[in-house]
Amino acid sequence: MSEGLDYKFLVDTFFVALSGVPIALAITIVALLVALPFGFILALTRINRIPVLHQFAQIYVSFVRGTPIIVQIFIVYSSIPLLLDSIFTKYNLEMNVYDVNPIWYAFIVFSFNTTAILIEVFRSAISTVSKGQLEAAQSVGLTNVQAFRRIIIPQTLVVALPNICTATVNLIKATSLGYALSLQEITLRAKVAANVGYNYVEAYIDIFLVYLILCSLVEYAFKRYEKRLIKYKAVNA
Amino acid sequence: MHEKEAGVIKMLEIKNIHKSFGQNKILKGVDLKIDKGDVVVILGPSGSGKTTLLRCINFLEKADQGLAVFDGIDINLKTASKRQIHSIRKKTAFVFQNYNLFNNKTALENVTEGLIIGRKMPKMEANALGKKALDKVGLSEKYHAYPSELSGGQQQRVGIARALVINPDIILFDEPTSALDPELVGEVLTVMKNIAKEGTTMLVVTHEMSFAKDVANRVIFMDEGVVVEEGSPKDIFVHPKEERTRKFLKRVLPEDFTYYI
Amino acid sequence: MEKYFDATYIMQSISMLLPFLKVTFMVASFSVLFGTIIGFILAAAKLGKSKIARNIANGYITILRCTPSIVLLFLVYYGIPAIGNNFGMDLNDIDKAVFVIVTFSLQFGALMCEVIRSAYESIDKGQFESAVSVGLSNAQAYRRIIFPQALVVALPNFGNSLLALLQEGALAYTIGLIDIVGKANLIIASNYNAHALEIFLALSIIYWILSIAIEQFFLKLERVLSKGKQSLKTM
Repeated sequence: MSEGLDYKFLVDTFFVALSGVPIALAITIVALLVALPFGFILALTRINRIPVLHQFAQIYVSFVRGTPIIVQIFIVYSSIPLLLDSIFTKYNLEMNVYDVNPIWYAFIVFSFNTTAILIEVFRSAISTVSKGQLEAAQSVGLTNVQAFRRIIIPQTLVVALPNICTATVNLIKATSLGYALSLQEITLRAKVAANVGYNYVEAYIDIFLVYLILCSLVEYAFKRYEKRLIKYKAVNA
Repeated sequence: MHEKEAGVIKMLEIKNIHKSFGQNKILKGVDLKIDKGDVVVILGPSGSGKTTLLRCINFLEKADQGLAVFDGIDINLKTASKRQIHSIRKKTAFVFQNYNLFNNKTALENVTEGLIIGRKMPKMEANALGKKALDKVGLSEKYHAYPSELSGGQQQRVGIARALVINPDIILFDEPTSALDPELVGEVLTVMKNIAKEGTTMLVVTHEMSFAKDVANRVIFMDEGVVVEEGSPKDIFVHPKEERTRKFLKRVLPEDFTYYI
Repeated sequence: MEKYFDATYIMQSISMLLPFLKVTFMVASFSVLFGTIIGFILAAAKLGKSKIARNIANGYITILRCTPSIVLLFLVYYGIPAIGNNFGMDLNDIDKAVFVIVTFSLQFGALMCEVIRSAYESIDKGQFESAVSVGLSNAQAYRRIIFPQALVVALPNFGNSLLALLQEGALAYTIGLIDIVGKANLIIASNYNAHALEIFLALSIIYWILSIAIEQFFLKLERVLSKGKQSLKTM
């Protein structure tokens, strides 16, 4: 182990790690697609203090923010099979819980987690868009829905974008916990490759590089998009 | 120590001060003399360098060139040592446009901070002086109020008390009423008039023409980084020599502004 | 093993797990301590005049922001002994807690740098100017005027960073640290995977209560410390 880094392994495993990127991205995209609309709607229930839903959202956010995501993964991974199993036996379905692709669990956990994060992001963003905006929209004859779609949401998105970026990067990073679901993502693939020759240092350097590149690209994309939105804002102002 | 000229005690002299921000030359060789008991008002359009001049005197900005003669001691405004800077700051006080009260301290604590910490005065003594200073600016009721609980006018009066209490040789006022709502300007000007009457040496940057007219014994008109003209209020307001001064006054003086002797 | 859900087992596991909370706390405390020091150094570099120092600090923060905790943890866990090896040191036998503390100090430092920097920048420059104008020295101005105000501004973000640290710290079990998560996994293994759900729920309850307690503590502390801001809140 003392003869320094195994460069051939380093290069080969980089591509092994890279091959896990599509799965990490798939989870990220699905989670965002679920979390963006649900997060927004639940943020509205928080702001407008809609009974039951408002309290539900509050407890939900508190739980997700108060517990480690790895524990959330453990819970989903140990409860859903139990649930499915009882459903399958009850309806005499010829299905085995262990045949379920672990990516479904990942979709569930990360959507569940990201929604809660985005509730808070949207809640603070919506509250920065002044009430006067809604009133002004109503005063020119827009319906509530129109006012939201055309006036409130576009402004909210601009304010929320940096935090959505952070949430997205955190989400990508959190997919590294997919190992706990036996998911063949970036970390697990490289780790398995390392098991053969104990090249763990090399493997983790590769994993580190892949996340660094991936997250930097995502951050860069968000920055570009934000710049475009702000420019648009400045032209209008 | 004091240079005496016909019974006047020279307090502060500024020679050939220059200051640029990047490509912008803000001060282009300003000279200034202030004697003990003077109330000097600097007038001029915004961007003329008035505030920068004041800030350079107190080393809130570092001048690019220039000399300050304070109590007969020469201090280079560019290369002054930390100790020299500290000694000048102890002899001067500054009243800020947006008050800059310490947000985490009460009115009384704001006033005594410079005494207790800057000058190592015992707390009891400092509190007594602080209360007296606050009484003088009409804030006897507000010793223990935090800045956020005070109106703008009250905050600025605390700012003035904070400057007064350290018994400085000169107080520098940087547009003390510009950030105030019009109805609050009067209370601050009254306080400034009162302390001027007591013989406090003051260098005031302001847009309040009536203050310049009624209180100042000397008015300086600055434009584009130089002193265009200076003289008594009467000289400046009634017989301005320079075209630039005339134009400026015509623009800023209210219609009903008249100069009584 | 027959799988069934037994709610009473949750309470039972909580009492089994709680003693191991002190390992979690110990690791977190050291990480906060060292991380805050790193944060101060980075913030000074970012606010200072040296361009090189600023770039290093920015690079450090970008890299750490883009690295998953678990990856950093294993890089440290495998990397430090490997580096030590090159210098003829055998670092394989040091306590696992050390690797955990190193990892999370590095991470907490990056978080704290931003917390400290933004708190410092939120304090108006005029506060410093008026402090020196009444005769305080630069050091006195920082200590008596800038720092107390910046602390109050930093508090909520510090609290959030602490919560983040606590939760990322849950991954320490992956290198074999026996904290509450490590203990939970040991119990499950010794049960032949029975009652895993109950134990994980117990774990989540402990973390949840802890997080709420920390959150409330910081809210209270903020209220106590934010003197001079009372009327802002009622306004």
